Formats: sequence, structure tokens, C-alpha cells
Amino acid sequence: MAKNLQDFFDAVGKTNLLTREEEIELSKKIEAGDLRARDRMIRANIRLAISIAKNYANKGVDLEDLIQESSLGLIKAVDRFDWRKGFKFSTYACWWIRQSVRQHVAAQSGSIKLPSYARGTLWKMKSISEEYHKEFGVEPSHQEIADLLGTSPETLRSLMKCAATPVQIDGGAYKSSDGNRSMHEVLVDDRAISVEESIDKEKLIKAVRGVLSELSPREETVLRLRFGITEDLEEENLNVNA
Amino acid sequence: MSMPKGFKSAHGYATTKEYDGGADYRTIANQMTNRGYKMNHATARNVFLSALRKIAKPVHDMHKKNDSYDSLQRTAKDPRFQSGIAEILASIKFRG
Repeated sequence: MAKNLQDFFDAVGKTNLLTREEEIELSKKIEAGDLRARDRMIRANIRLAISIAKNYANKGVDLEDLIQESSLGLIKAVDRFDWRKGFKFSTYACWWIRQSVRQHVAAQSGSIKLPSYARGTLWKMKSISEEYHKEFGVEPSHQEIADLLGTSPETLRSLMKCAATPVQIDGGAYKSSDGNRSMHEVLVDDRAISVEESIDKEKLIKAVRGVLSELSPREETVLRLRFGITEDLEEENLNVNA
Repeated sequence: MSMPKGFKSAHGYATTKEYDGGADYRTIANQMTNRGYKMNHATARNVFLSALRKIAKPVHDMHKKNDSYDSLQRTAKDPRFQSGIAEILASIKFRG
């Protein structure tokens, strides 16, 4: 971890958390336009933002960027918090922070940029799938998810295809540093002829080649004419006439 | 009107349409006659099948199949076999 980030964590750890009364008092001041109160509210809750950002740390985005995005989400929550509803600030803020971080992760991870509605559909799809699994103990089919989301299975399939994480063909095939084989070395080529088939073909060609030398010139020429293989016909012709 | 019942080939019949530049038996007979091998279309067909039977023999041996005349003739007439042999012949020289 970078030293600056550790310093930041240390500084944040020293900030005191707010009591419920302090939250309400600060919220009232923020409503009245007190920027100092706003700043204090943000600073006091930055730990929450960091904690949520850390949950997304393994999604292919830098932790520093995630903390920055979660802080932006926190600022939005501070600006929109309504103390009259009676909820704790953290209950409200975590939704804004999560949304901000998720949007950033979805926008940054993967080489295919998806529009926000598509990303939203993917998140919904994932959560529906998890809920379904919890309730019924099996994974839902694409048709079932599509019905629940009010979309078509084809749309879901194409979204999943677009959201799949691309891998480098020259990149390492294994996460550990033990193996040094690249992805293109371990990928299976379905169109490639198997070794057995290749050996069979070699044997066959060898056998056919052996027989060809036993064919009479008459048979050979007829075969060539029938199959449209005209190579060396002129030469053959000369040999026949000679 | 019903059609007479007869033999129905399992894999169809080999035609020259499958081979680019391939000739029918009458054309082959004419060309062979011009080259000094006098023959008619039926002989051209017999010679062609005879050559394919010779090629089919080691293939049958390789796959431990019956190598009787009838069995070899069936293989020689099979359009799948003919197309496979055409592919191999195109990739190798006859008397290489």
C-alpha cells in the first residue's frame, strides 16, 4: 500500500465519529448553508466511504480511485440527507456511496464501455440471481431472469457477452507466478486437427502416395481428368506419345 | 404415377460438379482417345473405378476393413471417398 494512502487512513482513523444528535445538529446547519458543518459531516463519515470502497478493491480498479469515488458519493449523501426522516446518516449515505463506486467500477473495468442502463440491468440481474438462488437453491434460467426484469433473454445474453472481462491472449494463463505459460498456449483450438487425426491423415497420404506409383499412366490420367487436376498433363501427354 | 422401385444410393452419386474443372466420362474418353488411349465413356468409368479400387485397398487395410472386390467397389463409388481422394491428390504430386 502506498505511504500516502496509509497516512490518509491514519489521519481518518483519528477523526471522531458523530453521535445521532451531532448528526442532526450538523444537518440543520448544512441546510442553513454552513460549509464548515458540511465539511465536518464529510470528514466524520469518510471512514464509511473507505470501508465501502474496500469491498470493491478486487474489481480491477485502483483503491485510491475507489476511495475518491466513494467520497464523491458521500458528498452527494451529505447534500441530500434529510434529518427529519429519522434515519441515521450512515444508513442513507451507504446507498449513495455504493452507487457511486459501482458506477465507477462498471465504467472503468473491462474494455467495452456499457451505457448506464445496461450496467444497471446487469446489477439487477446479478442481485435477482442471488436472491433466486437463496430462495430456491438453484440458479435461475435466462428466461426466468428476463421475465422478472421485463426484458428478453436475447438482450440479457448480449449484455452478459459485452460485460465479460476480456483477457490478454499473450498474458499469463495462471494467476500465480509459478507457471510461465501464456493464454494462447493453453487455449483449445476447436478447429485444429487432433494429433491422432493428423497421424491418420499422414498415414493415409503415405498409403495413397504408395498406390499412385502403382497406377498405370492410363488410370492416372483418367483420375486427373475426372478430378480436374490438370498439373503435368502436358508432360504426361508427351510421355504417352513418345 | 408411381416410379419404379430400385437401388437408392445411401450417400448420393459422385458428379463432376463437385470438382472444379472435372470432366464427365464422355469428355474423358475423347481426351484419352486423343492422347492415344482409345476408349469409350464406359471404359473411362471402368478405368476410373479401377484406379479408385487400387487406392481404396490400403485404406481398407489401414482400417481393417474387408477388402473384397464388392467392398472396394462400394468404397470407390462413394462420393465421400472420391472427394477425399480428390483433395489428397490435389495436395500431392502423382509421381512425386
